[in-house]
Amino acid sequence: MTRQSRTAWLFTVPVLAIILLVFVVPTALALGLSVTDYSIYALADPANLHFVGLGNFADLFATPLFWRAMANTGLCALLGVPMAIGTSLAVALLLHDRTVRWKPLWRVLLFAPYVTSVVATSVVWRFVLNTQFGLLNYALRAIGAPGVDWLGDPRASIPAILLFVTWKVFGYNMIVFTAALAAVPVDLMEAARLDGAGRWMRFRHVTLPAIGPTLLLAAVMSVAGFLQIFAEPYVMTLGGPSQSTTTVLYFMFDEGFKWWNLGQASAVAFILFVLILLLTMIQTRIGRRYEWL
Amino acid sequence: MIKLFRRHIAVPSGTSRWADANASMPTAPTRRTVIAALPAALLAGCSNRRDPRALSVWAMSYEGDYSPLLMPAFTRATGIPVEVQTLPWTAAHEKLLTAFSGDSLPDVLMLPNGWVGEFAMIGAIAPLADPALVDDVFPSVRAAMRYGAHDYGVPWSVAPQMQYYRADLLAREGFGAVSLDWASWRRMGLALKRRRPDDYVVLSYLNWPDTLFTFAGQAGAPLLRDRDTRGDFAGPAFTEALRFYKSLFDDGLAPRALSTELQDPIAAFARGYFAIYPGGPTLLLDLRRRAAEIPPDRWAVTRMPGPRGPGAVDGISACLAVARSSPRPTEAWALVRHMTSARSELQFQAMIGNLPARRSAWSSPQLATPRLAAFAAQMRQPASQPAIVEMERIRAEVQLIAERVVRDQLTVEEGTLLMNRRVDALLAKRRALVEAGRIA
Amino acid sequence: MRRLLANAAVALVTAVTILPLVWMVLVSFMPRGASSAYPPPLWPTRWTLENYHELLARRLIDGAWFDYRVLPALWNSVLVAVISTMLGLLLTVPAGYAFAKLRFRGRERLLQALIAALVVPGQVAMLPLFLIFKELGLVNSYAGVILPSLAGIFAVLFVRQATLAIPDEMLDAARLDGASEIRIFVSIVLPLLAPVTVTLAVFLFLGSWNDFLWPLIVLADQHLYTLPVAVAAIGREHAADGELMMAAAVVTTLPVLAIFLALQRYYITGLLGGSIKG
Repeated sequence: MTRQSRTAWLFTVPVLAIILLVFVVPTALALGLSVTDYSIYALADPANLHFVGLGNFADLFATPLFWRAMANTGLCALLGVPMAIGTSLAVALLLHDRTVRWKPLWRVLLFAPYVTSVVATSVVWRFVLNTQFGLLNYALRAIGAPGVDWLGDPRASIPAILLFVTWKVFGYNMIVFTAALAAVPVDLMEAARLDGAGRWMRFRHVTLPAIGPTLLLAAVMSVAGFLQIFAEPYVMTLGGPSQSTTTVLYFMFDEGFKWWNLGQASAVAFILFVLILLLTMIQTRIGRRYEWL
Repeated sequence: MIKLFRRHIAVPSGTSRWADANASMPTAPTRRTVIAALPAALLAGCSNRRDPRALSVWAMSYEGDYSPLLMPAFTRATGIPVEVQTLPWTAAHEKLLTAFSGDSLPDVLMLPNGWVGEFAMIGAIAPLADPALVDDVFPSVRAAMRYGAHDYGVPWSVAPQMQYYRADLLAREGFGAVSLDWASWRRMGLALKRRRPDDYVVLSYLNWPDTLFTFAGQAGAPLLRDRDTRGDFAGPAFTEALRFYKSLFDDGLAPRALSTELQDPIAAFARGYFAIYPGGPTLLLDLRRRAAEIPPDRWAVTRMPGPRGPGAVDGISACLAVARSSPRPTEAWALVRHMTSARSELQFQAMIGNLPARRSAWSSPQLATPRLAAFAAQMRQPASQPAIVEMERIRAEVQLIAERVVRDQLTVEEGTLLMNRRVDALLAKRRALVEAGRIA
Repeated sequence: MRRLLANAAVALVTAVTILPLVWMVLVSFMPRGASSAYPPPLWPTRWTLENYHELLARRLIDGAWFDYRVLPALWNSVLVAVISTMLGLLLTVPAGYAFAKLRFRGRERLLQALIAALVVPGQVAMLPLFLIFKELGLVNSYAGVILPSLAGIFAVLFVRQATLAIPDEMLDAARLDGASEIRIFVSIVLPLLAPVTVTLAVFLFLGSWNDFLWPLIVLADQHLYTLPVAVAAIGREHAADGELMMAAAVVTTLPVLAIFLALQRYYITGLLGGSIKG
């Protein structure tokens, strides 16, 4: 062993060991648990623990609430990712404008919601979204629109939660995009301008290809993030109304830590795992196709 | 098991949360008291570890908030300090189960009666050390403490669901008292709604199963069949109860609201946003505290309506149990004995409203008030639900389906059939164990 | 004209973004019940500290202590966040450097595995982790909260990315001079990585401070509760006391906001990857 590799192992083994203990082994165990009927009965008496093969998955697929949770989560990702990424990009573009002054100040303020705790800000947002006394409905009524029963109407609850999540997270990607925009070659932009390309054409053919890889990476991370929404419904709606905000992770938490059906809950975790992996692969493939990666 | 109506605790502005627990407390805090309190609080933060001599107690909601006041007497008598931790009702079940599987249960825990069987089965709580502890309690209440051949808890308080109503609003429409059978109750509700179309008649949160299960119990619905291994929700009695429940929302008598939506139900009750508020005895405490907003002559309380007059009603009756993992069972049982003594129960009744479970306490003049008479009548007619591990979950899932019926996403018939299917799936494990003869 | 429009637009977006936070602070100073009015009050008619008093002060009533335990939870949060930040840095900075600059067998394969693991949701591991920690006796302890946060895959990759910018020649020159690998790391690499380390420290601190789900599961004893867990418990019980909850939200949010504002220069620059100067 060389001196370098000895040092390398000294430097890496502690963190790798911890990753192994708290991440790799449990993930493997989750796979193992998902083919058992570990439930409250097994908690009472280990003799009640059995191998059930794919039984948990079959049961899950026959459970309507599981599909609702999947649909809700899908909706979160489908609406949430464009909403969050779009906001980040729009604000980053706005900030990128040469004429805007005090950029560092704006950046810091826009980023502030990102550093706050979900538990604390969801308290605030429950008030903002309140049907009777909320700021949002106040603003809507002020412009003549009818108020919305944000957290009480099963059709409005997901958009309401996504509004909150977008507010909270957009600052992060805004900063990431700001960095990417700064790296767009100035001479290319100038050339396009001289060629008479309009704002949209310049954005489409110069800016977009330049920030493509960043955009893709942000999208991958956002999809993974939106598929893992949990704390927001946990503190704001308890999964309601009509289970419209029960996400896959919320469902998993309920099955696992509320009712202690660890077998079933691990099956849910495993499905989520596969889903995220698949989506990441698809996105990477798309990225390769457009030569962004 | 039952999550009644006391999570939304609010306090009139300017008074302390504890103002009526101790009238001598300074109420409106000045800037100076705040500044004076801060260093003390900072110090408290540093000496933050648990007292190793202390017995730990977990209790929910008001019981948790107020039981520290029962402890000085115990500590004086035994020299053992007690630390109480309050759990919110909506997170209590998962908290207790997680603590059990993580070996971190307290010495003494409060359980609603419906959870006793579950926690006894998993071996979280110990059987009673001394059967004499439950000698004096009402037999119907005591029955809920049994699992197999043993008693596992000591009944602490009885809290049947009742209907609190705005007597002034009802009188204005010519109703001297609230109706006690479904048909005339509904007529009364419709009359009120016609007069006050923007307000509602009754508050029943769509994510809490209490009202529906009260109706089902009164209609005599069996809930489960085949030795509690299958759902029995499609029968005529439960269907009738669900229909009546749904009609409350269809006719605009009850708002389609979740518990997370209404910021302050007591204030809404005071405003007349709804005229009837089903709840347990702790609502007495809330109403006493908020007497400035809703004076006592404006409301009254009586038994819940039943299909043909009042009947058996369940409630959030609670017991105290000792964790099997407690290293000091003798002291823990001594604490349970203290907390469930007639004297403590009466003290608790005066503080938070909950009714004593001991017969001997009921000879006290403290309970002989007209308002408590209705509670006393209801107490003699408790309902009981199947004492099986899955019951809490069954209630939650049945309520989820009921919510979809109320929101017209399912018809009543589809709903009851779905309830049976869902409950059958939840009970699959139990069914297998019962058929194999592994559990009774 | 364009300049005015662009600046006004940015100001408007910022105002809307920051409004909920400002409102949170304002409502926390309103008397109880004042915020439940229409139209929503945007300014307290009467400033009061009663919410903070009730939330933070510990009171002796009839011989029994009554306490929301917010300040103890604040200290717990500080303790947990500081320890996990320190340990996190100690573990991930050398590892990130090793992955960037030290040659050892299996480096590329480990690196690929780490990158792949980045998208695996941590929640998958949560249920078995609880059972493992139960066996190890880590449930209901700070170690149980801190340990999972030390598995900083992201942090390792982050440090590695930053370290790649250090020229190899510099390290090789030191090696030729006979400096040991540890010495090279401590006296050459670490000073160069200082800004990145600060960024990472803020990152780790915020992550630990705001962590909710795992502490919620693993901490049973309220004496150990971190701030978000304590606030969520109060919120479940006292959702009606809006102004009180707002005060709790302020107490939870303000420390991290302060740290972020104090160190924002490093933090945001770290995120910007040094491509933009303030």
